[in-house]
Amino acid sequence: MTERISVQIEMNQSWRYASGAAMERFADGLRQKRIEALRCGGCGRRYLPPRPVCGNCHLHLSEWVPVADQGVVEAWTVVYLPFLDGRTGEIRKGPYGMALIRLDGADTTLNHYLAEADPTRLAVGLRARAVWRDELRGAIDDIRHFEVMR
Amino acid sequence: MRPAAIIGTGQTDHAKSRDDVSQPELVREAASRALADAGLRPSEVDAIIIGNMEMFEGRALPELWVGEGGFANRKPCLKIATGGTSGTSSCIAGFHQAASGVFDIVLVVGFEKHSEGQTQTGMALTDPFWDRGVASGALGNFALSISQYMAERGVTPEQAARVAVKSRRNAAKNPHAHLKDANATVADVLASKVLAHPVRLMDMCPQSDGAAAIVVASAERAKKLCSRPAWVKAATTRHEQPYIGDIDRRLLSMRTLRDASRSVYATAGIREPLKQLDVAEIYEPVTYAELAWYEILGFCSEGQAGRLIEDGVTEIGGELPVNPSGGVLCANPVGATGVIRVAEAASQILGRAGAHQIEGAKTALVTGYGVYAWADAMILGSEP
Repeated sequence: MTERISVQIEMNQSWRYASGAAMERFADGLRQKRIEALRCGGCGRRYLPPRPVCGNCHLHLSEWVPVADQGVVEAWTVVYLPFLDGRTGEIRKGPYGMALIRLDGADTTLNHYLAEADPTRLAVGLRARAVWRDELRGAIDDIRHFEVMR
Repeated sequence: MRPAAIIGTGQTDHAKSRDDVSQPELVREAASRALADAGLRPSEVDAIIIGNMEMFEGRALPELWVGEGGFANRKPCLKIATGGTSGTSSCIAGFHQAASGVFDIVLVVGFEKHSEGQTQTGMALTDPFWDRGVASGALGNFALSISQYMAERGVTPEQAARVAVKSRRNAAKNPHAHLKDANATVADVLASKVLAHPVRLMDMCPQSDGAAAIVVASAERAKKLCSRPAWVKAATTRHEQPYIGDIDRRLLSMRTLRDASRSVYATAGIREPLKQLDVAEIYEPVTYAELAWYEILGFCSEGQAGRLIEDGVTEIGGELPVNPSGGVLCANPVGATGVIRVAEAASQILGRAGAHQIEGAKTALVTGYGVYAWADAMILGSEP
């Protein structure tokens, strides 16, 4: 039988997204190493990163509350499989540590990288703090990663 | 709503790559088999629903391109895309269409051809402001929440490995399954490479090429066309906040799946799931999730899932066989995966499940799961 015929497609494209009022204020705060959560007037849940609407009460959120740049590791992993970075299209190679960190003053957890990539040195309940970059531009990677406080 | 039932199912033989067929041809394969199983011609179908996650193939408007493979031309046709639940949501939409009285015969087809695209792209193109910068796909999300589940409930890698062994052994009886191994061992699973701690290769579902279809019929047509229809006793879907960090306790509480299952249990009169259900086809993308779902779905109390798998309760021949087909761990063409769950559960009621038939199965549970954001549940039964 003849060789199977398939079509190969390669393309580069760009997108641009509006951040919206809540994320704009949050991102602006990051430039001054200021972290703020939005608190729900109904159930009191403090959302970080801030969300425009409470996932429990469906209320619009507008009350900003201060949050520390350190907190508790609620969940963690070390990723070994290479993964696509959805902002750059580049592949991020493992191993790298990740965690869901509940910053002091927030009720939801922040998804971010850990400086530690050794599973034997990680556990639920450890405390971790943000390591900030020298140059801050109002984006997620103003925080380089979190480091475990030992 | 009037009663409605599933009267036919069809699946492709799911595989790593089906480069012998295009996407419409893959869809036609499953759709034709389901219609043949129901004893219907394409012209007798009133409406079609297509389930697919188009970003995985990088192809827009799949319902347009593959619709003719589902015999949709000149008929009502919709597409449903809700992550991992795309297939179960499609089946539930088909049920709603037949039960509402709008249509008498609805064909539901789910498909995915992961080999043709970039599954990671589909998973990575999330919220551009925060989550995209830290996304590590379904794998990273699961691995994170598993650390929490293990810390609190004491589940072990050996117990998770038993789920993978059960799955591959069951799949060896299923001609449609992608990964099969009647001789897989716990040691094999624990020796497979770590993808994201503590998830190993054999703990995680594959990416498959495949399609699956069901035929849903109104009560009147179902009784005429089928001697033992699989009646839809209850069906519901749940949507949730999209961010993993916002979900309270994740695998430990999973309110979407808990709420959906409690809702269908109440409608179908299920008070003791382990006793009253004869078989379950649940959406377990990773071994640890199957254990967490045992607790969430009320098969055991919190912290007892490890014992349930160790005691063989969920094996074929156990008190409640879970995923006798081999489950998501052994075949995962995402848009079809939920349809496969429904088709497998329906086949059990129809008495057409073949080598993995649970003798005398009368009541079946189906669940769907789309990484935190969605959960579906259905109860199928042998009586209307």
